[in-house]
Amino acid sequence: MKKTAFVIAFFMAFCYVGLSQNVITGIVRSGVDSSVLAGVSIVVKGMPGGTTTNMEGIYKVTAPGNATLLFSSAGYSTQEVSVDGRTKINILLSQSEKTQLNEVVVTTALGIKKQQKTLGYSVQEVNGETMSKTKTPTAMGALTGKVAGLNISNTTDLFQSPGISLRGKTPMIVIDGIPDPDADPYKVNADDIESVSVLKGTAAAALYGAAGINGAILYTTKKGRKGRLSVEVNSSTLFQTGYTVVPKVQTQYGDGDQGKYEYIDGSGNGPEGGGWIWGPKLDQKVPGTPSGYYETTQYNSPTDPNTGKLVPLPWISRGKDNIKNFFRTGLLSTNSVSASIGSDKGSFRVSASHIYQKGVVPNTGVNNSSFNIGGTYVLTPRLTMDAKINFNKEYSNNYPTTGYGPPNLLYNLLLWIGPDIDIRDLKDYWIKGKEGLQQKNYNLSWYNNPYFIANELLNGYRKNNNFGQLTFDYQLTKDLTVKFRNGFNQYAINKDYKEPYSYIAYSYISQGNYSVTNTNYFDITSDLILNYKHRFSNDFNINVTAGGANHYRNYKGAYTTTDGLTIPGFYSLTNSINALKGTSYLEERRTASLYGMVDIEALKFLYLSFTGRYDKTSTLPVAHNSYFYPSAGISAVLSDVLQLPKTVSFLKLRASWAKVNSGAVDVNNPYAHLTVYDIDQKWNNVPSLSWPGTYKSPALIPNTVQSGEYGLVLGLLNNRINIDATWFRNREYNNFANVLPSQASGYTSVLTNANVFIRKGWEFVISGTPVRTRDFKWETGINFSNNHLWLKEATQSPDGYITYTDKYSSSHLVKEGQRTDRILTWDARTPDGKAIYNNNGMQASAKYAQPFGYGAPDWFYGWQNTLSYKNFTLSFSLDGRLGGLIYSTTNQKMWWGGTSPGTANKYRDDANAGNSTYVGPGVVVTSGDVNYDSHGNILSDTRKYAANTTAVNYISFMQTTSGAMLNNYFYYKGTYLKMRELVLTYTLPSRWIKGAFSSATVSLIGNNLFILAKLPNVDPDAESDNLQTPSMRSMGINFNLKF
Amino acid sequence: MTYQKISSIILLIAALSSCKKFQDFQVNPNNPTIADPALVLTTLERVAFSTVSTDASLACRQLVYTQSASNSQYYGWQRGGFSYSYISQTVKMEQEAARVGKQNYRYIGKFFRAYTIVDMTQRFGDIPYSKMMQSISNNNFTDSSATRPAYDKQEDIYLGVLNDLKIASDSLSAQQTAIGGDIIYNGNIGNWKKLINSFTLRVLMSLSKKESNTTLNIKQRFNDIVSNPAKYPLFISNDDNGRLPYYNITGNQYPYYNDNSMKTDFYLDSSFVDILQGLKDPRLFVFGQPTPASGLPANDFNAYDGLVGSAPLAYNTGKRGQGKASQINKRFAYEPVNEPSLLMGYAELQFILAEAVVRGWISSNADSLYKKGIEASLNFSDFNNTYSGTDITNYLAQPALTLQAGNEIKQIITQKYISMFMNTGGQPFFEQRRTGFPTFETAGAGILNGGKIPKRWMYPSDEYTNNATNVQNAVKAQYPGGDDINGTMWLIQ
Repeated sequence: MKKTAFVIAFFMAFCYVGLSQNVITGIVRSGVDSSVLAGVSIVVKGMPGGTTTNMEGIYKVTAPGNATLLFSSAGYSTQEVSVDGRTKINILLSQSEKTQLNEVVVTTALGIKKQQKTLGYSVQEVNGETMSKTKTPTAMGALTGKVAGLNISNTTDLFQSPGISLRGKTPMIVIDGIPDPDADPYKVNADDIESVSVLKGTAAAALYGAAGINGAILYTTKKGRKGRLSVEVNSSTLFQTGYTVVPKVQTQYGDGDQGKYEYIDGSGNGPEGGGWIWGPKLDQKVPGTPSGYYETTQYNSPTDPNTGKLVPLPWISRGKDNIKNFFRTGLLSTNSVSASIGSDKGSFRVSASHIYQKGVVPNTGVNNSSFNIGGTYVLTPRLTMDAKINFNKEYSNNYPTTGYGPPNLLYNLLLWIGPDIDIRDLKDYWIKGKEGLQQKNYNLSWYNNPYFIANELLNGYRKNNNFGQLTFDYQLTKDLTVKFRNGFNQYAINKDYKEPYSYIAYSYISQGNYSVTNTNYFDITSDLILNYKHRFSNDFNINVTAGGANHYRNYKGAYTTTDGLTIPGFYSLTNSINALKGTSYLEERRTASLYGMVDIEALKFLYLSFTGRYDKTSTLPVAHNSYFYPSAGISAVLSDVLQLPKTVSFLKLRASWAKVNSGAVDVNNPYAHLTVYDIDQKWNNVPSLSWPGTYKSPALIPNTVQSGEYGLVLGLLNNRINIDATWFRNREYNNFANVLPSQASGYTSVLTNANVFIRKGWEFVISGTPVRTRDFKWETGINFSNNHLWLKEATQSPDGYITYTDKYSSSHLVKEGQRTDRILTWDARTPDGKAIYNNNGMQASAKYAQPFGYGAPDWFYGWQNTLSYKNFTLSFSLDGRLGGLIYSTTNQKMWWGGTSPGTANKYRDDANAGNSTYVGPGVVVTSGDVNYDSHGNILSDTRKYAANTTAVNYISFMQTTSGAMLNNYFYYKGTYLKMRELVLTYTLPSRWIKGAFSSATVSLIGNNLFILAKLPNVDPDAESDNLQTPSMRSMGINFNLKF
Repeated sequence: MTYQKISSIILLIAALSSCKKFQDFQVNPNNPTIADPALVLTTLERVAFSTVSTDASLACRQLVYTQSASNSQYYGWQRGGFSYSYISQTVKMEQEAARVGKQNYRYIGKFFRAYTIVDMTQRFGDIPYSKMMQSISNNNFTDSSATRPAYDKQEDIYLGVLNDLKIASDSLSAQQTAIGGDIIYNGNIGNWKKLINSFTLRVLMSLSKKESNTTLNIKQRFNDIVSNPAKYPLFISNDDNGRLPYYNITGNQYPYYNDNSMKTDFYLDSSFVDILQGLKDPRLFVFGQPTPASGLPANDFNAYDGLVGSAPLAYNTGKRGQGKASQINKRFAYEPVNEPSLLMGYAELQFILAEAVVRGWISSNADSLYKKGIEASLNFSDFNNTYSGTDITNYLAQPALTLQAGNEIKQIITQKYISMFMNTGGQPFFEQRRTGFPTFETAGAGILNGGKIPKRWMYPSDEYTNNATNVQNAVKAQYPGGDDINGTMWLIQ
């Protein structure tokens, strides 16, 4: 068979030779700047082989006089040129434009490439180029603001994954066609990404089955190209030089309570003021003291050798710049090199990269190294093999702990330190003579020395990722191909945690601890896919795909910890005081699937697509573990058949419908459908178990999302302006829900299928080229989107209410017809929002929580621009959100603890003097009553109010209420506008680099440059306030060289 | 070419045949589904015997909180929470016991049910009782009578509890299979009987306002136990205490060990200091720390001063800042083992017996029972031998301590109140609610609830969501003023 193919090819080639053959030469230049283009592929249409341009852009090809030449190069539109007997053909290649709507090809489910115009659902593709210059710690972060409907929330904390939400839910991640359930955003290097395709809806990802119920993000990594050796070096260095958002604290009052402070022993007792920052005013001149200032004993007071008592020191503001003095300049350095080469027989690409991130917190950093090799080889004319293997290593000897609490640096540096203390005095963090045993700090009951935390409380992390795939494609007949693909993900994590002696946690002071976690993960997905393609006529084509898949996953690990350390600072499991404690776990799951897809192209403008998938999963009771789900889509390119006004150059309508089931009760726990004992605490080494409060119904069936999506694509003025609009409505039913009976039934909740939710949203993408002249071009794209979730039916609740928990607020009541992201407050307020006080002058509580607003934003938006002038390109990206409330822990604690600048006022001086002068703004109830129904809805309200007149001690008021009513109960509007990135690139003229490089660019980069936000002191980018690291501005430079 | 086809097929077969069957994944390898009842008993004991709570001490004017205005201290609390999930554990233990045929667990389970029900009903009033636990017991998830059980009248609940306690005491048997996992009495059935009988006397005494109720027949039940020590043994010393000892193992330490707040925010209430100073009670030295300003040694009664529970926060933080307040004794924050937590102790039993004598329920010497209780309490609290046996004898010998006619109940309850500092949960609050002793001071400007001491907790909000009709009916039947913290339940009418 091999021989036959060869003979046929030989004869065909021979036949062509028989026609008049010309040698054609020419030079290929860029349509952008007329520079010569090296490595442009030239193929004679309909014939094997081809050539590429050399360093000078010159090519030479042999072709018949009536042939057509195809010129193609990355980043440029493919151009077809008829030879027409010529022997010299010079070409200007124009830059590829996404505006060629008819031509755009995108990656869809299972890695199948399709023309975007044929799709009945919304897919947005982001070119990998956009990530090669602006550097973020993860490739995912680079997508922020660029895709309508995809919301990336970026935390400022080192080595924390960005939050990903696609139409309000977490999508699946797919790398080169292989699902990556781990979804580790650090494992793929941005420089290896060819493109990212975002399949937004249930319909788009229906072929992925249950895993794709929330849409999918598909990474396509770069492959070797046919042509000569090409080597690319990309290097960026960014410095975190300034603050985009940094909390501002008051600098007039020090540690203590009620205006008093006197250090005794660091326990926080008595005159030490319990750890508050409500102490005496600083820098007060007092005659008669040695310094001329008010003096009191402080943590660094020397002991008087005669009296044995601490010597008072002047009470002055030494710590005005504690935050800035503590943090250092962070660094993000990314370097990568890749090489690719290819011939008719195959191609391959290798790459290596390293990312080093130096944290702004001393002694923190992350390293991330990747190596990969991939290639394609034509084994026989009918059989092609494609394979890729990646190795990635993430390692950090220490990264900061996040979340409010004693290990958080800002807890100790921003909230609970007074400006009487200069943080630099704490750099030497052990008490003399007690090195390794006792940290030095001004308070030893509540707080840790930040330098001690940074240098001694260590989170170590080492992860080795291996992933890759092997695919065989076999052409059975002209129309029929079969593909067999195996892909795997594997990782091993080794984590350790070192807790030093004298470390202060909420509930204990450490006697030292060391813990080790080892985890091993493996998954394999195998697909066998048959594809039949037939062109019946110009008006009717059909493409049928049928496949089967098997997915298996295995996750196991163990955690071991000491209970105290015998030898301080000796971090080994053998050093435990009490018996070692530990757990081990094993999680396995499997899904077997059959699927199929039929694509029909009719009448040259109508595209129909049907999919069906049948899954059998191990994560449901066996009786209901298999299920089928279909999808259908239609796309009509009306501009291809209708006579439209001249301004309309492209018009497409699309619609799709899908019903996807999922059997994953909890994606992180394959046994979430089984009721089992919880392992409870040991008491004096006696083990114990407890039965869970949640009963898992053995009658669980899969949950379903039924999705409808409608869209329109409009190209105007020769596609200078493109508009893509989408509206979707998902009906989510048979949800895995914890239905709540009375806990007197014996269970606090029953896991069953219940409730119907409706999720609706809009997505708009408007792009265009407002200016295009010979030298100057401005391309711009704006996107905005929203989605909200409503409770449609509370199927198991007779009164139509459910208790719902989401990322916006903990468990809260939602009634049928209401949006689920309601925010409620227990603080009593009048119907028009005034605070209601108790007769003691403090904020009153309500009997029932009352609605207050919504958590989800009204809109997300992003705006990208690229301006090019000759060899310069300036691109910048802005994005943000409008509306929605964000709760701010940082601001609340600053008002509560006494560090907020707003707390420096005359009432505070009065309180320090022992006077109660502060009257909280708001009212007291003078008569009448309010009646509620059992769900807290107000039935009648006869309350009459008078202004609150009770004067209270300002400090007590703040300690009790945090002044919440002054700051909208610390729910701030989430609206913001961020200057995400700015890149100025200079492409070196080809005459400068001739002979050395085929292309060279240098870019100046700025990330996270500024923000306009309603939320003070915290960057709202993370969409929540977790007491995160101050938001830093990054500036740097990128070099990109191609050989 | 064929070799490629064949190898593809082999690969595919290899990939598919290596798979486990779907049925094999239906067992969670990390957690058991059946277990010996002993493993559940350990959990039940650990939870029920962990009674140490500063909330009770704040509500009882023993401690004052200085970090912010505390609702417990200023009487501004609102809703409480149910603890039926605890009863679910007893059901599970009983089911496991039935499976392996170990009867004793069943009766210990009855005690824990009774204990939890009493704890809840005395907080709220009527609660679900006769219809509770149907989902976990009978797998009934469909009938609303099971998922949203009706409430029972408090009187009926007490009758059921007393009957259950009697069955538990009558049926527990050392001849049956021994119980395991017992971190309280190490499987000693005799001690369990002592605890159950002593606890029954506590429940009967809590019904002292229902002396004349013929259905409950309190006096008779009390006498049945006290008069038959062979059948119904009671605690005979501190060794029999229903107590949970702490250990210096992470998670097994005293609940406030190294607790930041315990180190800085809790000070003795001045009314409590006054009582202890007035009686020259050496327990003051183990309850509190001398004030920083006094400069006096720890064994000087004048070294102590308190804060005022009802005064505004600023007054208390101000006084604290001047160094004039006695903090709670450092052992509560700095000792990993400190003292055990009590579900019920021998001292309390002696005070109950003394009160029963005063009330004429039984005949004995009230003063001697009462003094035995005081002595037991002093012995229990004598941390690190802070005071000597002689100190205890001298204390008991004070004339002021002897029961005085007409004042007996006040004296007995006051001693019970002192003895329960940080060890028997909310019991001193309920004793005060029943008897009015000692007087909780409410005169300060910080007080909430119109200066009234609350009499109960409002029903939990989850009942309003998940069992609305029944909880509303229960409120209507009991409290004309609605679900309010000042409503008077049947028990104290």
